Amino acid sequence: MWFITFVLINLRHRLARTMLTAGGIAVAIATAVVLLGVSHDFEQSALDSLSSGGVEILVIQEGVLDQLSSDLDASLADRIRAIPGVSGVSPGLLELIDYSKNSNSEDRNVISVLVQGWEPGTFLMDELKFIEGGPYASDDKKVALLGKTISQSIDKHVGDTVIIQREKFKVVGVYQSYNVFENGAITVPLKQLQEVMFRENSATGFSVRLDHAAMGDATNEEICREINAILNDEGNSYGVVAMPTQEYISNSVYLKTAHAMAWLTSLIAVAVGSFGMLNTMLMSVIERIREISILRAIGWRRGRIVRMIMGECVFISLIGALSGSVIAVVFTWWLSTLPAASGFIRGTVALDVLGIGLALAIGVALVGGAYPAYQASRLQPAEGLSHE
Amino acid sequence: MNEEARDVPLLRIESVERKYPDGNVTALENVNLSINVGEYVAIMGPSGSGKSTLLNILGTLDRPTSGEVYFRGEPLGAMKDTDRIRALQIGFIFQSFLLLPTLSAVQNVQVPMFEGPLPAAERQRKALELLELVSMQHRAKHRPNHLSVGERQRVAIARSLANDPTLILADEPTGNLDSHTGEAILNLFDRLHRQRGLTLIVVTHSNDVAERAERVIRISDGKVIEDRRVHPDTVSVESS
Repeated sequence: MWFITFVLINLRHRLARTMLTAGGIAVAIATAVVLLGVSHDFEQSALDSLSSGGVEILVIQEGVLDQLSSDLDASLADRIRAIPGVSGVSPGLLELIDYSKNSNSEDRNVISVLVQGWEPGTFLMDELKFIEGGPYASDDKKVALLGKTISQSIDKHVGDTVIIQREKFKVVGVYQSYNVFENGAITVPLKQLQEVMFRENSATGFSVRLDHAAMGDATNEEICREINAILNDEGNSYGVVAMPTQEYISNSVYLKTAHAMAWLTSLIAVAVGSFGMLNTMLMSVIERIREISILRAIGWRRGRIVRMIMGECVFISLIGALSGSVIAVVFTWWLSTLPAASGFIRGTVALDVLGIGLALAIGVALVGGAYPAYQASRLQPAEGLSHE
Repeated sequence: MNEEARDVPLLRIESVERKYPDGNVTALENVNLSINVGEYVAIMGPSGSGKSTLLNILGTLDRPTSGEVYFRGEPLGAMKDTDRIRALQIGFIFQSFLLLPTLSAVQNVQVPMFEGPLPAAERQRKALELLELVSMQHRAKHRPNHLSVGERQRVAIARSLANDPTLILADEPTGNLDSHTGEAILNLFDRLHRQRGLTLIVVTHSNDVAERAERVIRISDGKVIEDRRVHPDTVSVESS
């Protein structure tokens, strides 16, 4: 008999308690994995979105929290293009609008949809795979492209119209992007979005591609500094900040907040799980005083008693982690199918997030099992043997 | 074992006293004893006389309030880890068997072996051998609640031998058995003592058990009142 067999027999003998405790831990781990997974998804999607088309630098307004809050002069694109080493610049206007599935303006059942204004023929378009229709041309008027997710969500396809700020846009293409934000977004020509949003000649950011052969010894950071130093015709700064895409993601206040909230909520869930484990194992030790005393009497050392209790805790936690991960994967997928979340959540859980869930479960086992294991190891066999 | 090692008593207790703080009870008072390797000793006395307390102290399950216990000449009080001695040198047999109800007979026998050096496969093999020694190999896969009381005690005896101990401590081993089954268990003790040279210390009320021992120690009110060899000589009482 292996020691592990002995531990498993103990758990099987108290099957109901084992499964109930594992169930509590599963809920805690599922909560943590879903929250951390969604938070991770946000970050990865944002990174995918900005890195698509080989974008290495993002330019936004200085001092704003994110691209949605940014407001820049779109003509800055030409000055950025003039910097040696810059191979492409795509100005973009990003708006978050309330979209009603019905044309009835009184309909309050609306969802939030990202609308992005891109210039026709921009290199960003190269990353899109069209599953219906195709990209718009420079002379197209009031046309829109739909990401696959939003197309399904609002049930619009090529030939249909979508309403943005009371203006009708004809759908000419449905695309699939490898980033979840774009799949949930409506893309329209930049100028037409500027018009309907009353933001003439305005952009919320610039996506910059680099030609490393043409850059010579210059680094990405040096290109960023050159962009930051661009002056307008009056000799004033444009008030922009250019940064590598990875750095932009890392510094995003929204993403940091999402991460912090996810971790905080996860840790609360894990703490509750730990208390559940602590309670269960402490009760178990109290009920098993005689059994533990027998083991001590027939030669088991304190360390082995500790290993037995901790082994039981780890197994319960592993059952909880496994069940919790399955729950989290199913729940995240289901969440991604909801219209309110479509375009923001991929519906998959990254392996490293599942790894974090597993680590948290082991943490629950160690925290919840430590005190009961210590108490069990301190039992005096002579006293425990007379315990009924 | 060389002669020098044999000269050292297996167990020696000096001026041992055990008091329990609850009720200020003195379970043992100024007890002095020496037990040699290979002896078969019966400890007798009425209920509450302190004989089980003495057994617990001899088996490192309990510590004296004062005095010292020596195992092979080494003072136990100075040892940090008396568990190791209990694990590898001492086997326990209890009146109520104290088998683990969730494990089969062969698994129960293996439980003490986790503290020994044997790998899992060897543990299984040895447990079956020990069950064969106590004529229980045919019941190896049965759990305690499917065994008769006599069979349970046989399994408990096999378990006590798991790590090849020098010393077996038995607390009323026939107390829960009928006379016929008790007789069979005592025959088994005799055989183990003879064949394996085990040191046996048996706490008992029973004169039948005491008659089989080589030495009888009687305790009353926590004091040794008699310590005699049944065959052939009587030794002097060391405690007053």
